[in-house]
Amino acid sequence: MGFLAAGLGAGIIAIGAGIGIGMIGKGATESIARQPEAAGDIRGAMLLTAVFIEGVALIGAIVCIILALGIGQ
Amino acid sequence: MRRAAAILLFLLAYSPDVIAADATDATDVNNDQESVIDVMGKVSNHDYFELPWTKVYLPRIFLSEGEWHVYKSTKSAVDSGEFEVSEAGLVRTNGAEITLDMSISSHLIYVWMGLLLTFIITFLVGNRYKSGVGRTTEPKGILQNMFEVLFVFIRDDIAKEFIPHNKYEKFVPYLFTIFMAITFMNLFGLLPWAAAATANLTVTATLAMITFVLTQVNASKDHWRHVFVFPGVPAWTRIILTPVEVLGLFTKPFSLAIRLFANMLSGKIMIVCILGLIFVFTDLFGAYVGVGSGVFWVLLTTALYFLKVLVALIQAYVFTLLSAVFIGMAAEEHHHEHDETSVAHAQNVQT
Repeated sequence: MGFLAAGLGAGIIAIGAGIGIGMIGKGATESIARQPEAAGDIRGAMLLTAVFIEGVALIGAIVCIILALGIGQ
Repeated sequence: MRRAAAILLFLLAYSPDVIAADATDATDVNNDQESVIDVMGKVSNHDYFELPWTKVYLPRIFLSEGEWHVYKSTKSAVDSGEFEVSEAGLVRTNGAEITLDMSISSHLIYVWMGLLLTFIITFLVGNRYKSGVGRTTEPKGILQNMFEVLFVFIRDDIAKEFIPHNKYEKFVPYLFTIFMAITFMNLFGLLPWAAAATANLTVTATLAMITFVLTQVNASKDHWRHVFVFPGVPAWTRIILTPVEVLGLFTKPFSLAIRLFANMLSGKIMIVCILGLIFVFTDLFGAYVGVGSGVFWVLLTTALYFLKVLVALIQAYVFTLLSAVFIGMAAEEHHHEHDETSVAHAQNVQT
């Protein structure tokens, strides 16, 4: 049961984080294409936002690892 | 190309016996419900310091019943009859509680090594600047040049950009120190026998706690007003906003710790698991398929290693960046109306 939960959870995390980071990438590339001279600032902002999403995704991943390893049962 | 083919042939010709022997071992062990490859063992904390050729057992130090117990290694602690091994580690034989466990562990050694390297490099280059090289003349040598690039990067791109202009300078040493220390700790995790100290939640939580304390100590009045009495909203919404803001104070260091920890942990686990696929394939389809696919897994692992170097640097950068952002957010003074101009000014200086 823990394995099932971990597998499903990891998949859902991947979907969520993928959508989030994809949207950031879309926004960043579009704005760089529109304003190439601001590429440096946009890249910084992109990284910062991507990192926040990554943090949430990793918390989910840790929960999945804990479920799969059966820690705390 | 020829050499690669020769190596491939060599692998195909000689390895099946070895792998087959391993595979039979594997099935034997699997019957006992034990995994062949100890995945978590590669990343977890140990009472020994692993070197490619040997294991160095580390001292165990306990405070129990107001008395210090110091032993050379776990084995000598058990031999003394005072301690015994249980599932949760060492416990007292007479059932007394261990108040404090100050044992030196492998991750602690790596933390020390990271900090020591940071100290030595900073000290060496700092002496150079004191003697005038780099101030009156150009920086000399690879070490000083790289140091200067990194330091200027941390100061201009991280500290100056996110911390208010008038007080960023006193945070630069801290930001630079954690950047260097985390980079070294992360990079130690790339050694096959070593483990990244940052793959331990205690280490990352400690680092995040330091950032948390620094943030709160240097917080401006406006920061506390924003936490407890959020300005510019209807009074009743503060019933919701204040708890959320108070919670927000603690989720910041929490996410900081979890992010670094999970990144470093998952990298190593992934590499061990992908290499473990060789044994899984050998088990399922026989030795030849296992060795044949092994070529692919090894290539994939090599690619992952490059990714891990990148991740090690990026995570150190991200930790430093977010520390600066959090410190900057708390130290910022609002309602001054010249925030916009100061940001613009910072950007002008940068370009």
